[in-house]
Amino acid sequence: MISVDGRQVPWHEGMTVGTLLADIQDAHLYAVVRLNGKLVSRPNFQTTPIPDNAEVILLPMIAGG
Amino acid sequence: MTQLKPREIKALSYTRPTLEQGYANQTLSIDLSGAAISIKPVSEIMKEVFVGGKGFDLWLLWNAVTTETKWNDPENAICIASGPMGGTPGYPGSGKSIVTTISPTTGSVMDSNVGGYFGPYLKFSGFDALEVTGQGADDTVIFIDGVGQEIKLLQIPGLPEDSYALSQVLTDFFAEGKKQNISVVSTGPGAKHSLIGCLNFTWYDVKRKRARYKQAGRGGIGTVFAHKRLRAIVARWDSVTMDTNNPADKEALTTVSKAYSKEIRDLDPKQNEMARVGTTHLVPIMNDFDLLPTHNFRYGQHPGANNIGRDVYQHLFDPGFDGCWRGCTVACSHGVKDFVPMTGPYKGQTVFVDGPEYETIAGCGSNIGVFDPFTILEMNFYCDAYGLDTISVGTGIAFVMECFELGLITASHTGGMDLSFGNRLKALELVHQMAAGEGFGAVVGQGIRRMKEVFEKEYGADAALLQDIGMESKGLEFSEYMTKESLAQQGGYGIALKGPQHDEAWLIFLDMVHNYMPTFEQKAEALHWFPMFRTWFGLCGLCKLPWNDIVPEDNKETPEPAKVMKHIHWYADYFNAVTGRKVTPDDLVQMSEAVYNFQRIFNLRMGYGRREHDTLPYRAMGPVTVEEYESRRERYDKQLTEKYGVDIADKEAPEKVAILRGFREQQYEELKDAVYERRGWNKDGIPTADTVKRLGIDFPEVLEVLKANGAS
Repeated sequence: MISVDGRQVPWHEGMTVGTLLADIQDAHLYAVVRLNGKLVSRPNFQTTPIPDNAEVILLPMIAGG
Repeated sequence: MTQLKPREIKALSYTRPTLEQGYANQTLSIDLSGAAISIKPVSEIMKEVFVGGKGFDLWLLWNAVTTETKWNDPENAICIASGPMGGTPGYPGSGKSIVTTISPTTGSVMDSNVGGYFGPYLKFSGFDALEVTGQGADDTVIFIDGVGQEIKLLQIPGLPEDSYALSQVLTDFFAEGKKQNISVVSTGPGAKHSLIGCLNFTWYDVKRKRARYKQAGRGGIGTVFAHKRLRAIVARWDSVTMDTNNPADKEALTTVSKAYSKEIRDLDPKQNEMARVGTTHLVPIMNDFDLLPTHNFRYGQHPGANNIGRDVYQHLFDPGFDGCWRGCTVACSHGVKDFVPMTGPYKGQTVFVDGPEYETIAGCGSNIGVFDPFTILEMNFYCDAYGLDTISVGTGIAFVMECFELGLITASHTGGMDLSFGNRLKALELVHQMAAGEGFGAVVGQGIRRMKEVFEKEYGADAALLQDIGMESKGLEFSEYMTKESLAQQGGYGIALKGPQHDEAWLIFLDMVHNYMPTFEQKAEALHWFPMFRTWFGLCGLCKLPWNDIVPEDNKETPEPAKVMKHIHWYADYFNAVTGRKVTPDDLVQMSEAVYNFQRIFNLRMGYGRREHDTLPYRAMGPVTVEEYESRRERYDKQLTEKYGVDIADKEAPEKVAILRGFREQQYEELKDAVYERRGWNKDGIPTADTVKRLGIDFPEVLEVLKANGAS
């Protein structure tokens, strides 16, 4: 299992940030996630693996400035 | 430090008024030339139209200067104000000051917002705003003693030159045992010897037992301050509670403050962690999206960026509360203790560095090819201590480094320095030279617009290339975001009132990453709404960060998530609770619109503020060189073929660069048309008579400016 914004989500082999977000509604709103404390941005979603027991936090839009 | 022995030049005792619903209802005016101190009333029309903060500043400045005033004329004023909500201790981000003046780099109105205790202490001492004109016969310290109800102009021999030491010394001297009661505004030798001087505003860090500071950095306000022979302005005030502003409805104020404060406290750890890492989280994110300026905005990405972002600075920042105003739960003003500089007057000593924030990291780091976090810390420390704006320093050095690598300038111009990108020791040497007004640093300290003239006329450099790669607009150096792929952000920088600073419109993510505004009309609407709403914070004494850097968990389910409407409703409640004026979220935008248009007309009055001034260097719009084009060839080729229908099969890169440039420059002009129309301006970018009437700024003097410029 992994934690996504505090919710338990089943983990599977080969899981990436990209595959996780594909199953989440309104995923297009998230350009950045925090995976086990590290920031991962959309250009790297498909290539970033999620390990079992990971904690993922979906960051809302970055407003910056 | 020897005992300071101040000599009193002038003093004025006064009776501090009771604040009424966030206002002191008077302003303080000091003319250094005549050592005159006076107090002026605030009229109801000032409050109604200009609200406070930047609005009050602009009105005072407008009345101080003429169309002929230059930055170094005695009548030029430095105006500092908080705002009606400024100084509320429980509502996050309520400690901002806004500073305005006629800028030495742009020649027109400059505004810069800054944290620290000064603005609230000024107001609690009895003044909604301060204007300082004239020039002292000698170095002067202004002491505004809200506790003793006295204003003093002082000469204090033996003060330290740099702002780092000066801030501590003056805090100690005036504190009378309560250092948290003191806020110091000061600058350093860099402001005296350059045109890009900044001001430092202190807040006292009780835990670390030291004066910390934030910067009003942009546009050379520190240079004006130094030219007036002001060494410092010190405000003294005592305890602050929710009652200090004497709000109209304390219960409502307490309720909304608690709700907002709790939301920030609960959600920031789940979102950007600004209370822990400040704005350093933006470094890796901007880098990932090709938006982090590297090598003078040529590229938006670099492998070394991981060395200068959140993952590094979170370990360097000294843990603890870092709020630049009391009770702010965003608390993002982090710093590094026990840092030991390797160069300059503090070489080998232990110092505290306030920062770095994102802009300093990008400007004094990636944009000059430096990916060493400690060099950035040292640049940050010395820029602050010397009173230099880290953004203009970073963008300026990036420009000279590219000029050096392109052969537009050589070692014969730089005093023998190799100014290739990444030469961190020479970058530091330039900072020391700027502060001393010596060597090539003295040239760099004049800012990019003047450097372009020098490089062309004295060094024979290619003027067109200098124009394309010199990242300034209106005379102000760009802040640190890549805009090539975001037309909306090009407008956000190019049409901004004071020049390319992101505090007016930061649309780059909404436009480029989230694609919220695909059409011209949508971009124009965004370039209307966002600058107007962001202006409102500066009218009220507030920080923008709590609004949309921490967002409600259900924000994405709202019709317009980019506006974070839940927070805007809270801001309206906050305004109502303090001032007693009943406003809705839409009213907030209209309040700003009046002041925003007034500032645009102020620019016009000073000889600017037209379409021709809303220009950008081409580097902000697209690839200047073949090298840049080739680095993102797939992206640009695709745009030429799919977006513009160009057959590129037989075209070489230089031709493709030129064709793309034609399209991009054209779309920027079309964007200006759309934005001007949305804002109620004519084709030349001037607010129409109907617009100023609708906004209630149709004063005779405003209409006169429009008439004189053929726009009535």
